[in-house]
Amino acid sequence: MNCHESERQLDAYVDGELTPSESLLLHEHFETCAACSRRLAEREALSRLVRLVPYHTAPARLRARVVATRKRTSWAGTGLLAWAAVLVLAASLGATIMVFTRARSEAKMTTAIAEEVVGGHVRALTAQHLFDVRSTDQHTVKPWFLGKLDFSPPVSDLASIGFPLVGGRIDHVAGKPVAALVYQRRQHPINVFVWPAAAKDAPIAPRSIRGFQVEHWVRDGMTFWAVSDLNQTELTEFVRALGG
Amino acid sequence: MSQRSFEEVVLPHLDAAFNYARWLVKNDSEAEDVVQDACVRALRFFSSQRGDNPRAWLLAIVRNTWYGRFTAKTGGVERMSVFDEAADEHPGHELDPQALVIQRQEVERVQQALEELPSDFREVLVLRELEGLSYKEIAAVVQVPIGTVMSRLARGRERLLAVLKSSDVSTGETRELS
Repeated sequence: MNCHESERQLDAYVDGELTPSESLLLHEHFETCAACSRRLAEREALSRLVRLVPYHTAPARLRARVVATRKRTSWAGTGLLAWAAVLVLAASLGATIMVFTRARSEAKMTTAIAEEVVGGHVRALTAQHLFDVRSTDQHTVKPWFLGKLDFSPPVSDLASIGFPLVGGRIDHVAGKPVAALVYQRRQHPINVFVWPAAAKDAPIAPRSIRGFQVEHWVRDGMTFWAVSDLNQTELTEFVRALGG
Repeated sequence: MSQRSFEEVVLPHLDAAFNYARWLVKNDSEAEDVVQDACVRALRFFSSQRGDNPRAWLLAIVRNTWYGRFTAKTGGVERMSVFDEAADEHPGHELDPQALVIQRQEVERVQQALEELPSDFREVLVLRELEGLSYKEIAAVVQVPIGTVMSRLARGRERLLAVLKSSDVSTGETRELS
């Protein structure tokens, strides 16, 4: 690996598009080459900034227009058959509406929480308020939450696999205080939001919101949300190590 | 195809469609029109064309819709030639990563720099950084080879860095984690 090759693959590296072996070669080069490692830091810093530019969500007006178009189109060219279908639909609707509404509101709530934890992550970064307790020692961070929360969040030491703990703070999700643990991968902070869950264990569900990678899981009566600008491969590696 | 399945497939990606269109046309009402048109087309081709990646599929339709309108209006899309490639590859001086702390004015400057990039670069950056699309998905949306996606991202980022370096970077306090 030389600097020329390293430069050529820099973006693919930052974007998590290299194979693990290519990635490792590049990683080794960064360890020994100050100029390339500087370029890497610059790229990563830039990506973080770009991800903070406004995300334009679709106005409600547009959503309504699209739905209306759909309805107009589906009525056009239909006749009695459609009306018959409507009657059948209306009959079955009564039965399904309850189930549907519940599933929908649950999905909606999960989406709302996902938005909120991403908001929490961004807020912590922009306000430069990542920790109330700054420590790489799990035995310092875990007891810090005592007396501040009515539960004790699991805190892990993952420094050996490249995800050092850097601190913790109290954050708020859905109006309730939750534990936010901050881990780090290279220059990427990872916020892990934890609070007690009424739900049963659920496997990792990854999603991407406004460019942030978000992973959610439920384990032993605790619900976890990990948020980072890290790529999905590495975040999943982290989450698995955390027990997700 | 039932009404629900169209709505289930398309509506969840309406934000992505609008964000992409908005960054392409840089204007709210025009972006709404593009997305509205795109959805009409998506509906028309819904049963026949949809692949296994509805988001990339919808974004590709948004792009085609925009491209069609734009070329109809101006007779051509802004191309990459508007900037000097040689200068682009040799930024004047190193930028201290510490200077890229997350601050509002920094973000505003990046936003402005991004808006001023030629659309070929702007769109791949938006799809990558804001939508989190993979190179393969971006290639499908923009309809270019993956290698082109990679080089456009690289040059787009070089260009943004060059703009940030040339403007007066007032370093504030550093962020805790960088």
